[in-house]
Amino acid sequence: MKPLLEIKDLHATIAGKEILRGVNLVINPGEVHAIMGPNGAGKSTLSAVLTGHPAYEVTRGEVYLRGKNLLEMQPEQRAREGVFLSFQYPVEIPGVSMTNFMRTAVNEKRKYEEKEPLSARDFLKLMKEKRALLEIGDKLQNRSVNEGFSGGEKKKNEIFQMAMLEPCLSILDETDSGLDIDALRIVAEGVNRLKTPENASIMITHYQRLLDYIVPDLVHVLADGQIVKTGDKTLALELEEKGYEGL
Amino acid sequence: MKVSKGEIFERVFLNEPDIDLHIVQEAGSRVKIHVINLPGDARDSRTSRNSITIEQLGEGCTTELYGLAYVRGDEKVETETHVLHSVGGGESKQLFKFVLADRAQGGFYGELRIAKDAQKTRTEQVNRNLLLSREAQMRTRPQLEIYADDVQASHGATTGQLDESALFYMQQRGISRTDAYRMLVAAFLKDVLDTLSDTHQREELMDAIDRVVE
Repeated sequence: MKPLLEIKDLHATIAGKEILRGVNLVINPGEVHAIMGPNGAGKSTLSAVLTGHPAYEVTRGEVYLRGKNLLEMQPEQRAREGVFLSFQYPVEIPGVSMTNFMRTAVNEKRKYEEKEPLSARDFLKLMKEKRALLEIGDKLQNRSVNEGFSGGEKKKNEIFQMAMLEPCLSILDETDSGLDIDALRIVAEGVNRLKTPENASIMITHYQRLLDYIVPDLVHVLADGQIVKTGDKTLALELEEKGYEGL
Repeated sequence: MKVSKGEIFERVFLNEPDIDLHIVQEAGSRVKIHVINLPGDARDSRTSRNSITIEQLGEGCTTELYGLAYVRGDEKVETETHVLHSVGGGESKQLFKFVLADRAQGGFYGELRIAKDAQKTRTEQVNRNLLLSREAQMRTRPQLEIYADDVQASHGATTGQLDESALFYMQQRGISRTDAYRMLVAAFLKDVLDTLSDTHQREELMDAIDRVVE
């Protein structure tokens, strides 16, 4: 099987400070990986580097998505290739409606894939269908992107966008933080239903809690910029019990 | 010029250089003015200086002044407003927005005077500006002189840049940086455009703004 994502010896810095110090990771289609680790280990840096955040500089290493060099691409091209980040802190964009935002995003991706843009009717139908998946009301589409959304609404909105864009690689950065148990269940069910044999996801999380709902194939522990341990789902339980110091 | 008792004067100045208006309002009259500056095809270094003076001489007048300027290259747009409330019960609202790219310069000077006898006057003056480049400059100077004690007067002036985190968020969803720019600039100017009474003109201007943002 050809890997979906290959990360080789990835080093990255922010403002001259080295955060990632040689990350190696292979993700195959159909897999769910969890990345756990203490604060400051580099978990969010990894998601920022994979999506091309301009504040981070890659100083060494390579990343391939379906064999294509990801690090050479602009953030928007990575997104169109199918990399999706569910933000830890989704950004509010006053004055830009969810509908306009989402229609632009969906049609940019279709253009990249040399498909015709969706008609207004088909687009609204798609929005409705995907909203139902996340139990989001129809008020959302007239509102500005994330503006005035509660913490739970923001996270649901991230997974809603993921459902609209059908990425091949989803990175869920602390998606469980700030969610009550009902919102967590809805978000997790959404993610589970979007799973196919062709796509994969990376869940970045502090806690075992999310992994009760979305069961990972592999769990990695990131510490001090490197993956120091990899195991199956029982590793997460072990970490919950013993803490990161117990490794 | 004079706007007589109970009359309405409404005007949109689109790309008219050097507007110089002096309006006297009689009781119960209404004035609504838009000053819109969008770049032309020629990239010259022209300067537009606009001056609007409004005197509310009769009771119960309303004045609405709106400005929208997208300035680029070496262009310069300066607008000054003088709103004078001489008698009570009047209302005035001002909303001026500037978007400045390249080495463009913008200026807003807003003088607002509420005379001693102009009780129950309600005024609002807002100036918001967006700098798209490090070399662009904005000068803003609100000047409020309030001599009456029973009035509602609010004002605010801010100058900022496009939100980098919003740009990245949009790019992460596959929207090009240029399109993200366009959407954010349009969002910034939306509330001024929304005040245009002519919806057809509103849409034409939105399209025109889309075309000039790079």
